[in-house]
Amino acid sequence: MPDLGERGNVMGPQPIAQVVEPPAAMFAAAEQLLGALMRGDRASVEAMTAGQAREHMDQIANEIQPGKYDKFELIGRGRVAKHYFLKARLSGSGAAPFTIQFRLGEDDGKWTVREALNLTNRRSGWTK
Amino acid sequence: MQRMISVDKLARPEDHILMPAQRMRNARAEQGLAPGNAMPYEDDFLKSRMHGICAGEFQAMEAAGRTLYDFPDAPWEFQLDMARQVWDEARHAEIYMKLLEYVGSYYGEFPEGEVLWSCTQAEDPAARVAGINRGLEGLACDVFEQLIRIAQKMGDKIIERSVDYVLADEITHVRFGSRWMRQLTEGDPERFKRAQAFQNSIDDLFNFGGGRTTIEQAGHIKQRVNEKEIEIDSGITIAREARLLAGFTEEEIDRLVKGFGKSAAY
Repeated sequence: MPDLGERGNVMGPQPIAQVVEPPAAMFAAAEQLLGALMRGDRASVEAMTAGQAREHMDQIANEIQPGKYDKFELIGRGRVAKHYFLKARLSGSGAAPFTIQFRLGEDDGKWTVREALNLTNRRSGWTK
Repeated sequence: MQRMISVDKLARPEDHILMPAQRMRNARAEQGLAPGNAMPYEDDFLKSRMHGICAGEFQAMEAAGRTLYDFPDAPWEFQLDMARQVWDEARHAEIYMKLLEYVGSYYGEFPEGEVLWSCTQAEDPAARVAGINRGLEGLACDVFEQLIRIAQKMGDKIIERSVDYVLADEITHVRFGSRWMRQLTEGDPERFKRAQAFQNSIDDLFNFGGGRTTIEQAGHIKQRVNEKEIEIDSGITIAREARLLAGFTEEEIDRLVKGFGKSAAY
């Protein structure tokens, strides 16, 4: 979306509602998960993954060589009610970027991964 | 350039989340929400509904463009109608991006689904316009008419007039579909039947298990929209008047209402 400036300073219709800001705890959980994946800390990854997503998350963890990546970037975000789909890219010197998409949801204050998808070399999570 | 492109070939910014609708339904179901789209009683209803429409306008623009490209041997006037539709849908996408900002959202806040694009996968131009222009644009008439009534109850002229402006174009697009489905299949009843069957499959897909009903028969629910509590439909309604203007027959509309999802082409 292009920067249209500060709407409050211009004439015309003003927004009738505020943009929903994602909770800081959700970002913290994403950071924790991605850090654990990059370190190869399988126990932490598993602790953050709901049963339904374990198989896919295991496959993703198997494909990430510990220590190969040292940076991550959240490149996309989309929410469905209070769950967040996040797209993240891992990078490291000499390593081809690795892209994953996962959904975080919160229960009793704990954010867990509900589904995960390896998006490396794919343009989207769409079917063909 | 490739014809009949698959959904994952559509160009989107990298920061957008794109996925099959089923994944979104799963996410909603896990949160104890109705599995389809955001319902009128949900906090996010306006944002989510407009986001879905905005993404739909982008895909409609792309679909009309692909129809133009995929069928180079179609009549010149057919191509002209599709080119005009591309331009219309581009304006609609811009309008809905601005409406999203107006309701406190932005294009990309929610994931984008693929179900609309799946409705474009017909190799015959007659079936393509039957599915897109009559099936999907007919659905757009229903959704927009309902949004206009909600805006009226909110007393929001911005949404009411913007959506009404877009609805006028959608009626024209359905007319394109009605005209070309009939004209392209003239003298070829089998081809007509195939186009009809493709439209039926799309009507069925969006019939929501027979959950769509008339404006008069719709249930109602009280919803707080910003500072105001209004009473709105509890499900998706069928816009009889708009569909009649667009060239659907009374019989077709009655069949949609009954949930048969079968419509004899106009």
